Amino acid sequence: MPLANPDCRRLFRDHDWSTSPLGEMDQWSVELKTLTNVMLGSLQPMLIVWGPSQVTLYNDGYAAMCGNRHPEAFGRSFQSLWHDIWEDVEPIISAAYRGEGTSMDDIQFTMYRNGYPEETHFAFSYTPVRDPWGTVLGMFCACTEVTAEVMARRAERTLRDRFMQVFELSPGGIAMLGGPDHRFEYANEEYYSMIGVSRDIIGKTVAEAVSEVVRQGFVDILNGVYRTGEPFVARALPIELNRGPEGEMQRRLIDLVYQPMRNDAGAINGILVQARDVTELRAEEARQALLSHELGHRLKNQLAMVQAIASQTLRNAPDISSARKRISERIAVLSDAHDTILEGGRGSSTVRQLVDQIITLHDDPAQPRIRIVGPNLKVGSRPALSVSLILHELATNALKYGALTSLEGSIDICWRVAGEANDRFEMEWVEVGGPPVAAPSKEGSGMRLISAGLNGAANSNVKVLYEPSGLRCFITADLESFQKEH
Amino acid sequence: MHATILVVEDDGLIRMDLADTLTDRGFSVLEASNADEAISIMNESTLIRALVTDIDMPGSINGLELAHHVAETHPDCAIVVISGRYSPSQGALPEKARFLSKPVSETAVTRTLTALGIA
Repeated sequence: MPLANPDCRRLFRDHDWSTSPLGEMDQWSVELKTLTNVMLGSLQPMLIVWGPSQVTLYNDGYAAMCGNRHPEAFGRSFQSLWHDIWEDVEPIISAAYRGEGTSMDDIQFTMYRNGYPEETHFAFSYTPVRDPWGTVLGMFCACTEVTAEVMARRAERTLRDRFMQVFELSPGGIAMLGGPDHRFEYANEEYYSMIGVSRDIIGKTVAEAVSEVVRQGFVDILNGVYRTGEPFVARALPIELNRGPEGEMQRRLIDLVYQPMRNDAGAINGILVQARDVTELRAEEARQALLSHELGHRLKNQLAMVQAIASQTLRNAPDISSARKRISERIAVLSDAHDTILEGGRGSSTVRQLVDQIITLHDDPAQPRIRIVGPNLKVGSRPALSVSLILHELATNALKYGALTSLEGSIDICWRVAGEANDRFEMEWVEVGGPPVAAPSKEGSGMRLISAGLNGAANSNVKVLYEPSGLRCFITADLESFQKEH
Repeated sequence: MHATILVVEDDGLIRMDLADTLTDRGFSVLEASNADEAISIMNESTLIRALVTDIDMPGSINGLELAHHVAETHPDCAIVVISGRYSPSQGALPEKARFLSKPVSETAVTRTLTALGIA
């Protein structure tokens, strides 16, 4: 079996001791001989600093720490070895020579023992060595490498920091409670923003820090989790929290999880709280559900309206091809009216927009024959569809039988707010200059549709008069329901 | 003898078409545009064999409440409730009432009336 420290054994053998303050080896004191034997037999890095001139002796383990200062440093003064860090080394070596030992837990060296620069860590103890009369002869140092421990501690710390970041970055609120009285040990920012940002909770019990939850039974629940180890999971739990800017109570909906945390022995010693404020989320979901419900309802009503129009058209049509034409025209009018209703948001369409739409369809801009007078009046979605349909039917009728059949004919459309309490909507359609008209023997589908009145408006009435001067149509309805968005 | 049916629907166009459809089928049809009108018509006439009503209507009560009212005051009157919004859960409708989803087809309404014994 090869001897330990072959490198330094050779240095000891080859060194010219005659010029050394220590003198020839066989003249050395028994203390120095014994320590040298111990050092060269040991696999631990060891160092001897001996005599007033602090001659430095070491083994292979320590040589590695000296880096390229080895082997020059062997047998020379301790100061010449550590001249660059002498400020730090001098006090402890001097202390050792005064008889005071020193131990250091962690000294860092860069070592090249594996062919590349490597961070290493050592624990040292400087021990004074005395002769039998108590005089300090020198210092003996044994080193223990603690690189692995230091690295493990560092990795652990890094991991802990990372986990802390994970907690901080979590979109949900996280808090850790310790002990049977549920004392806050940690809470992330999201948790604070949920319970109220400026509250002081760390180190306090839940009952002290968030006292309003006690009467809501949450401390009882925490006690249960702590006692039984059964987690508590709840969704959209209504919780009252004094989280307002002035500490005032607010009611929130919270997804809440309490989970027991255990020590190494498996005993419960805390509770992990995970909480997410879902108040806005739930409100948005409810709004979405309502909206899609409302949309479905509207769609079904629209389909019922189209069904009625199609059925009425077919019921009164002279033949299939004219029925087909009328149905597609009527559906197109509803579609245009929808555009107006949706443009700029619901409830913002006006009577004028609807009238303009019909005029664009039936009048000639070069020779306008339809005059309109009326205020800017808002109209609800449902009455808007009826107004458009009625105006379309009147215009179609005028083109076929009324004022628009002759070049001299014209139409006046006017609308106003009327009634003693200004609570009625009125609209008039007056044809003049056309051929004389008379009530038809059989009511066509257009007139049937007109007579259905204004959808969604209360007390609506549509009257069609066949006067010799031309057709007149008088539409009236309760103003409030005419303008209401259903 | 034509059976008389009361149609209650606030949308004039839909009411008109439903009334025409039932008239074509040989029924005699009365029309109301809300529940309040419907109640006064029911109070005046004892001949009404069936009530066909929408749910969502303006007025002091809606069609569902009207259905319950009529079920109590006119136990012999058949009831058909129509809506595009609600699908009433069990128990929301009067016991013998039937529900139809909007838009209602001619086949569905006549078949339902036949099932209720109105011919």
